[in-house]
Amino acid sequence: MAQYEKILLRNMEQPGYRGSLHEYERTGGYQALRKVLRDLSPAQVIEAVKNSGLRGRGGAGFPTGIKWGFVPKDHPGPKYLCCNADESEPGTFKDRQLMERDPHQLLEGILIACYAIGAPVAYIYIRGEFRLGAKILERAIEEARGAGYIGPRILGTDVGIEVYVHQGAGAYICGEETALLESLEGKRGLPRFKPPFPATHGLYQKPTVVNNVETLCNVPHIVNRGAEWFASIGSPPKSTGTRIFCLSGHVKRPGNYEVPMGVTFRELIFELGGGMRSEKPLKGFIPGGASAPFLTPDHLDVKMDFESVAQAGSMLGSGGVTVMEEGTSMVWAALRLMEFFYHESCGKCTPCREGSSWILQILQRIWAGGGRPGDLELLEDLCKNIEGRTVCAFGDAEVSPVLSTLRYWRDEYEALIHQAEATRTTKGEIPVLTM
Amino acid sequence: MLREKHHQYIAAILKRYPVKRSAMLPLLNLAQREEGYVSEAAMKEIAAILDLTPSQVYETATFYTMLNLKPIGTFHIQVCKSLMCALVGADELIHWLEDHLGIKVGETTSDNLFTLSVVECLGSCATGPMMQVNDDYYERLDRQKVTQILDDLRRNGTSPLKSGPFMCPEPVPPSS
Amino acid sequence: MAEQHTPQLLRVTIDGIAVQVPPGTLVIEAARQVGVMIPHFCYHPKLEPDANCRMCLVEIEKMPRLQTSCSTRVTDGMVVRSNTSPVVQAARKSVLEFILANHPLDCPVCDQGGRCDLQDFSHEYTPTVSRFTELKRIFPKEYFSPLIETQMNRCVQCLRCVRYCDQVMDVKALAPAGRGTMTEIKHFGHHALDCEFCGGCVQICPVGAITSRLSMYEYRPWMLKRTETICPYCGDGCQFTIQQKNNELIEVNSTYGAGRNRGDLCARGYFGYHASTHPDRLRHPLIRRPDGTFREVPWEEALEVAGERLMGIKQAHGGEAIAGLITSRCTNEELYLFQKLMRVVLGTNKIDCSARYGHVNGIEPLRRVQGAHRWTVTFEDIVAADVLLLVGTNITETNPITGLKVKEAVKRRGARLLTLETLLPVRGSISNITTLSSCHIPVHPLGYGQAVNALVKAMIEQNDVAPQIREQAVEFYRTIESVLRTCSWEDLECDLGVSRYRFFEMARIFREAMRAVVLIGQGVLRASRGADIVTNLLDLLLLAGHHQRPGCGLGVLAEENNDQGAVEMGALASYLPGPVSLSDQAACQAIASLWMEELPQGPSATLPEILNQARVGHVRALYVVGENPLASLPPSFNVQEALERVEVLVCQELFLTETARHAHIVLPACSYAEKDGTFTNTEGLVQPVRRAIDPVGESQPDWAIFSALSVVMGYPIEYGSAKEIFKEIQSVIPRYALLGPAPTPPNVHQDVVDRYLHGDFQVDVTQRYTWPRLSPKSEKRLTLILTQSLFHSGKFSTRAKGLLRVQAEGTLLLNSTEAARWGLQPGGMARLSNERGAVSVKVRVLDRVPEGMAFFPEHFDHDIRILFQAEVDPLTQVPCWKQTSVTVEPQ
Ligand SMILES: Cc1cc2nc3c(=O)[nH]c(=O)nc-3n(C[C@H](O)[C@H](O)[C@H](O)COP(=O)(O)O)c2cc1C
Ligand code: SF4
Ligand code: FES
Repeated sequence: MAQYEKILLRNMEQPGYRGSLHEYERTGGYQALRKVLRDLSPAQVIEAVKNSGLRGRGGAGFPTGIKWGFVPKDHPGPKYLCCNADESEPGTFKDRQLMERDPHQLLEGILIACYAIGAPVAYIYIRGEFRLGAKILERAIEEARGAGYIGPRILGTDVGIEVYVHQGAGAYICGEETALLESLEGKRGLPRFKPPFPATHGLYQKPTVVNNVETLCNVPHIVNRGAEWFASIGSPPKSTGTRIFCLSGHVKRPGNYEVPMGVTFRELIFELGGGMRSEKPLKGFIPGGASAPFLTPDHLDVKMDFESVAQAGSMLGSGGVTVMEEGTSMVWAALRLMEFFYHESCGKCTPCREGSSWILQILQRIWAGGGRPGDLELLEDLCKNIEGRTVCAFGDAEVSPVLSTLRYWRDEYEALIHQAEATRTTKGEIPVLTM
Repeated sequence: MLREKHHQYIAAILKRYPVKRSAMLPLLNLAQREEGYVSEAAMKEIAAILDLTPSQVYETATFYTMLNLKPIGTFHIQVCKSLMCALVGADELIHWLEDHLGIKVGETTSDNLFTLSVVECLGSCATGPMMQVNDDYYERLDRQKVTQILDDLRRNGTSPLKSGPFMCPEPVPPSS
Repeated sequence: MAEQHTPQLLRVTIDGIAVQVPPGTLVIEAARQVGVMIPHFCYHPKLEPDANCRMCLVEIEKMPRLQTSCSTRVTDGMVVRSNTSPVVQAARKSVLEFILANHPLDCPVCDQGGRCDLQDFSHEYTPTVSRFTELKRIFPKEYFSPLIETQMNRCVQCLRCVRYCDQVMDVKALAPAGRGTMTEIKHFGHHALDCEFCGGCVQICPVGAITSRLSMYEYRPWMLKRTETICPYCGDGCQFTIQQKNNELIEVNSTYGAGRNRGDLCARGYFGYHASTHPDRLRHPLIRRPDGTFREVPWEEALEVAGERLMGIKQAHGGEAIAGLITSRCTNEELYLFQKLMRVVLGTNKIDCSARYGHVNGIEPLRRVQGAHRWTVTFEDIVAADVLLLVGTNITETNPITGLKVKEAVKRRGARLLTLETLLPVRGSISNITTLSSCHIPVHPLGYGQAVNALVKAMIEQNDVAPQIREQAVEFYRTIESVLRTCSWEDLECDLGVSRYRFFEMARIFREAMRAVVLIGQGVLRASRGADIVTNLLDLLLLAGHHQRPGCGLGVLAEENNDQGAVEMGALASYLPGPVSLSDQAACQAIASLWMEELPQGPSATLPEILNQARVGHVRALYVVGENPLASLPPSFNVQEALERVEVLVCQELFLTETARHAHIVLPACSYAEKDGTFTNTEGLVQPVRRAIDPVGESQPDWAIFSALSVVMGYPIEYGSAKEIFKEIQSVIPRYALLGPAPTPPNVHQDVVDRYLHGDFQVDVTQRYTWPRLSPKSEKRLTLILTQSLFHSGKFSTRAKGLLRVQAEGTLLLNSTEAARWGLQPGGMARLSNERGAVSVKVRVLDRVPEGMAFFPEHFDHDIRILFQAEVDPLTQVPCWKQTSVTVEPQ
């Protein structure tokens, strides 16, 4: 099995490492922050992050340095950094580990990002369920404040940065960056339409950067070891660095695996993950969290980088890889995910709100043996009417399980419908409402 | 009531934000920790603290599923039923719990000790099936563990089986 | 050299039609300009875009995906396809299909039917068979309140109602509760909705999800006959549409953008329309029998008797023995004709109207200092102001729509609001303007004089006096400065309970304004020496140098719908139409010659004087039109005695009021809904009132009664219609009423200002700036204040069933600390007493009421009035009596 150098998980994989400030410093922690404050201008930090090719790990994969560059330099009022620690995408659990096991790595990344964009305040928006993670972060912030890394005059310079933990209260949509901002402002977590973008009109309508936990954790390493080093890892030029893939489902060794981008799904699932948990072969997998379209065993050799996965008709998303063995009903799998999307649609846009409940009801009916001819065409049509017609990307996400399972496992749907047809003749037609 | 009891905490929270309303979720979470749910009185009080109308607090509270607007049991058991956990036995877990507690999902035991809910993904997909009880996660559950956890909770209010800082897979111990 | 920047227009093509629009225009608005109607639900021009319904999608060249035209701003050269794009058409179909999925399709029982956006768009875009065969989610129907019903199954979740309630009204009573398809519009708590009841949510809902319960199931829109007219309640003068079926009032609403209110209304306007057709309306003329009961008589007889007896008094004792009172709720035509009748036919100058209760306190200083008796600013100037100073008014409760302009200025345009007001800035279910204030100074109801002093003093002392005043009116500001020196900061701080630095701050902000508007409300206008306070506020404008700057000025908030008109029609002691002062011989003569009549030479008399003279027998006949002094003044004023003493009392009324019960002859008059005419609103705009329903019973418009009476009395001043009278008014008051969408405010008369600055100010400057020290707060007593309520206007509205469902009785309002101090329970009873008597009232807790005080709505003051003592302002004869002090016990 190939061995890859770990970057983000390195510390925590050392036995006994608990992520205290002391331990973190011993492994070279906060050197990057010192270096930045001492030697680099904000513009130079942004330049380095640009050159590293780092792209967002939260789902959309937007180049981080470019995002930082959009923040107006000479804006008179405050600016903000928001760390997106909402991690609610089904199949994703990397940020949780990064926060609970090595909180200072994240804090250092946050502080450098704040310095780069000129934000005196950062909020870590962590999902409400992660009580433990929040406590660990709070403690780490106190430690860092005590050591002079956080506060009004960091390490004796005139740079002042405050970091606060802000707990959510149970809403997947608050991971969407503008919904996160609304929620942080104390409102319902409804996404805002864009433009304007957060970079100019974000938190409290002030320039704001929203970055995922993993994204920010990469930053100290880029500063320490150089943009070129980072850019050489993975599949340059578009997918640089490592990624933590969250492996779940029917595999032997589920968990977080950090590998350079560009490793294949086969390697992740069958080597790192130890292969399928039983003798049943692989039937299909989700490559990037619940929002990513399903792929099939035919796609095992696709490289796990942004472009390759996109070419295969799906996306790398949040890095959650969920494996399903033969015998798993894909109709059921789509139904389970649709329940999630129905439950989490914020309700702002008509197509997403109404579509999710309609699609869910059709899937439930098909699964319960009430499928009818025409259902599949209707499903596809409804999905198309949602895709691209909503305020946020949730609308696109919610149709992907349905469309992709329909694409690869249509026969399973058809079988259920045929079976239903066969029994229905005795039970009579389900009434149809007409206007 | 909140104001009297948590005066300092509230003042500290308010200091974190340039706009008062941002303290909404921290205060709603506080209210829930205090009473187990967010009462009408608490919403009114939060409105007064934040200079909002009670409706503004209410509309926000109803958006977030962790906030209970009605009283619930002492221990709120929330089982993740999303696909990833379902692939490794979330549905069985729910049955065990229903069996053991003698209630259905959405109900509270008659001694007001346990409320059973199912929820969507809690970020434990590699360590399912799992449940959250109040602030704590319990992962990689099997029937025996569940029985023990519930007994512990009944007896001691807490259980040593709860998860610590999360890491999966566990680091390989140094080869001896 | 700074370059002149003209905003460039942007070119955009929509469905092939090119148009140029200013930057910032939304695509949907540009499309409307070229006649392309883009279907929409969530967009509304009054609201910030939210882009949630996705109905307005269009194709825009060079942009991926379809874009929402309601949130996309036009860029130069943009090419938009709407109706011409099959993709767009398909998208709209699909959005409608989604909306209809969970919609109950209950059009037959929906009051929105026939004017429903969803119905209209469905008609245009959807097939007749639905593909939705699943279960619809169902919400139970809810009654928000006795006035509003919600049917959330019909809701399209556009959130217009919620956004309106927040963005426009600043009330924030509505809450979208829940998430996803289960979101429904609710309100807080397990009780009926408690809000301003502006009806905005009902009006702005594009479907039938929120409807009025006052008119449920009574109509289809096309059965209704509509009349555009003006609201009869407050001085804001909102335009609304009365809708009637078979001569019954069914509904009132206001079209988007209509009138000075731009389609917004308040509770009184939206839900208060039933007052006109209350069953207690007088239907026939009445004559009192010796035993005190009334008998119905034909009009001929009533007029005959009235004319004969009034003339009898005139012949026996001269015109001076006759006096008249009229309500400012009448039309301009009626007010004008009344004073003409009294003067020319009955030969008396003893005329007064309800403007005497406070409005005159504003008019006199305006005339004196700046030569204009009207606002020199408009509602538009309020919206455009950068600094607003509100003195003595929770504007929302007296003049809600002027209040909306203030809210718009502050919330949307970032104006800074300064408030001197008794209320505390505590949020409640009715918006409290002080919560928007950037500098609020709490003022005791007796402390406005001192507070304004402090403000003027602060401005002078921190050298904020404008250079032109400093240079050209040295004497003016020096004199004020020296008078104010005698009132020390220590005393002021002690009396007002506020640090001087707050006044310094407020004065500075006021001084730095580019466009400053001062609005003055009842707290000042009804206060003793209210006119002095207004004059001093005008001084403040002068000192800051704002008086000449466009967009700056001072507005006196008119409480009743036609207070301003009543003054201008000369229905007031000491004024002829114009208003022309009775002491201005030349101007009076001009009017006399226009009328081709002799003017009476006798003295005039104000309302308190008239009552006094009646009590002692100098006034022997009283003609009272719509006024009800017995209910408008406290018992200590002895109105009863005056009414009983007069030999002839003619009352012209809608209802058999307390006063009318004493009348010898009662003449039934029409309400505003049954007649034509004009009202002049608070900012001076003259607006047409139109007859919407037939007169109730045998009632007649007031003007027609005056006209008929003049004929009976053998001195015909006869008119065939209100229009004829209006023509005459225009000839008497040159340029009166340029009817237009907005008033053209008069300018400050520079010669008057100069005269004032260089001498006239001297007359009373020492007295104006000297105020008695406030007595220290008594621990044993509570200051009780009669206040306005948003849900009522005078006592007319207490006959409106809609408003009674919101507020049907008066409750004592005090804050929780105060309630606890007196041992009172919310909902319990309190016994209030003082030297004059004792009454029991229900208690309600309201935290915006300051410590040491309690409020009570004046509209329900029937019993509580005995606790009050009236004091007549020696200067303007305004009866001041809205506050007293009492001891309190729980009961
Ligand atoms: C429905 C939805 C949910 C999302 N949830 C998360 C999340 O839980 N965590 C996260 O980091 N990003 C999430 N995102 C992505 C964010 O919108 C945003 O792109 C990201 O935080 C940017 O950070 P990055 O550039 O570092 O990836 C979500 C996006 C959508 C549309
Ligand atoms: S797409 Fe769905 S989740 Fe996103 S804003 Fe619209 S309704 Fe909310
Ligand atoms: S009108 Fe544009 S999205 Fe509703």
